[in-house]
Amino acid sequence: MPVASWLEPTSLDQACDLLADDEFESTALAGGTAVSLMLKMGFLDPERLVSLARLPGLDQIDVGDDHVDIGAAVSLSQVAQHATLRACLPSLATACASVGNVRVRNIATLGGNLAEADYASDPPAVLVSLGAVCVIRGPSGERRAGVEDVVVGHYTTSLEPGELITSVRIPTPPGRSATYLKYLTRSSEDRPCIGVAARVDRAEARPDASVTGLDVVVGAVAGTPQRVAEATEAEVGRPLDRAAADRLATAYAEAIDPIDDARGSSWYRTQMIEVFVRRAVIELSDGPGRGGTA
Amino acid sequence: MPDPEVATTKVRFDLNGSVAAVDAPIGQPLLTTLREGLGIRSARGTCGVGVCGTCTVLVDGRAASACLLMTQQVDGREVVTSEGLVGDHGELDEVQDAFLGANAFQCSFCIPAMVLTVRAHLDEHPDADAEDVREALAGNLCRCGSYPEILAAVDELVAARAADDVAARAADDAAVDREDPR
Ligand SMILES: Cc1cc2nc3c(=O)[nH]c(=O)nc-3n(C[C@H](O)[C@H](O)[C@H](O)COP(=O)(O)OP(=O)(O)OC[C@H]3O[C@@H](n4cnc5c(N)ncnc54)[C@H](O)[C@@H]3O)c2cc1C
Ligand code: FES
Ligand code: FES
Repeated sequence: MPVASWLEPTSLDQACDLLADDEFESTALAGGTAVSLMLKMGFLDPERLVSLARLPGLDQIDVGDDHVDIGAAVSLSQVAQHATLRACLPSLATACASVGNVRVRNIATLGGNLAEADYASDPPAVLVSLGAVCVIRGPSGERRAGVEDVVVGHYTTSLEPGELITSVRIPTPPGRSATYLKYLTRSSEDRPCIGVAARVDRAEARPDASVTGLDVVVGAVAGTPQRVAEATEAEVGRPLDRAAADRLATAYAEAIDPIDDARGSSWYRTQMIEVFVRRAVIELSDGPGRGGTA
Repeated sequence: MPDPEVATTKVRFDLNGSVAAVDAPIGQPLLTTLREGLGIRSARGTCGVGVCGTCTVLVDGRAASACLLMTQQVDGREVVTSEGLVGDHGELDEVQDAFLGANAFQCSFCIPAMVLTVRAHLDEHPDADAEDVREALAGNLCRCGSYPEILAAVDELVAARAADDVAARAADDAAVDREDPR
């Protein structure tokens, strides 16, 4: 069936009501890079398309003292090129800069990327590693949920009908450093075979200060970004050195049971998880010249 | 004949400096609207999924895949295709000139898109070096494999712009010196 109507609500309440009204099957559209493809491939057959383009305030980036709020409609290019974000959220800026090609990054939005919940996207693993929280607006008001509680399965989110992500809040405590390594097996503009996002918090902004928090999240290996909490928690309070990198690499390779796809077999992904978890942790480790609070 | 089953909306946008007003089927790719209704030939469909770049257009100055944009998404915005880079009297844009100068094409199917990608990158990042522009071009494919010539055109253009900058700065300095002899 062709799409019967195109709607451009100008307030969030209006948008949520339109999307919640299940008499019509409605699909929200932000940059539309994923929706276009899903329509072309027949994965979606909505009666109406609800464009988010005229909603006020969704395109803001607010840099606070200990967090950053990025509006859901901010494009991946904007995140990648924003000088302040590159300085205070380097792993996120790197991940956004690595997405597809410049045309996709210019149009695709951060909210759309999360809501698409594609297992092979780059930003979700990074946002999970940074403890980012989605601000969600629905017909019954606002709620907040960690990114790992929003992206819950292959192309599946926990968003209810009528709910929209309005922004993403990312903590930026002092003493934090983070990195994202995207491993490609096909072409430079592809989605990742695996992506490793690592983040370490230290008591002080010095590479040799003690580790107060650590997270390593692997993307593109399962329906959702994967972390092995026992392994990272065990390293808190210890030096983040080469031995720690080896322990984490082994633990992640053992714990994760990766998928098979055209970008790599399950066996191959396991090998690469070991390599790239090690590299990511070494990048943030205590050694001389390493782990600057970029 | 338009299909009465297909719902359309009125979409108005600026296309290469003129107003374009169309009744577009909801969700129709901008690429289809440009080629079938508006006589644009430089934006070309190949993959249809955002990968190859031959359908590149500039929307509010930024490169986008016209195969992935629905026509409704450009309502009220400014769309530029390679045709729009040419001046009123047929003057070519510096990027078009650079590609011609370096014979940077074989069949030329992919070239308007390459030119737009370079144009947008230099407009957004006037001080970009050749490496940055190459990076921006990573998502534009050339089936003829004219990459060496295309990249040579980029290198020459970036070098010429840098030389112009140096010359312009020297001229400014000279002018300042004349006004204010120290
Ligand atoms: C050629 C190509 C290459 C790509 N390569 C990569 C890559 O390397 N890495 C990567 O991470 N991604 C990649 N992608 C995917 C791309 O990042 C996503 O398509 C894009 O981020 C989706 O954002 P959008 O704004 O276009 O979303 P849309 O297509 O508008 O929407 C996507 C989904 O999210 C919903 N939605 C949108 N906004 C909201 C909101 N605010 N709240 C709730 N739901 C919402 C929509 O209803 C829809 O279900 C690629 C895509 C293409 C076409
Ligand atoms: S046809 Fe649009 S990117 Fe290939
Ligand atoms: S010159 Fe023929 S496709 Fe590029």
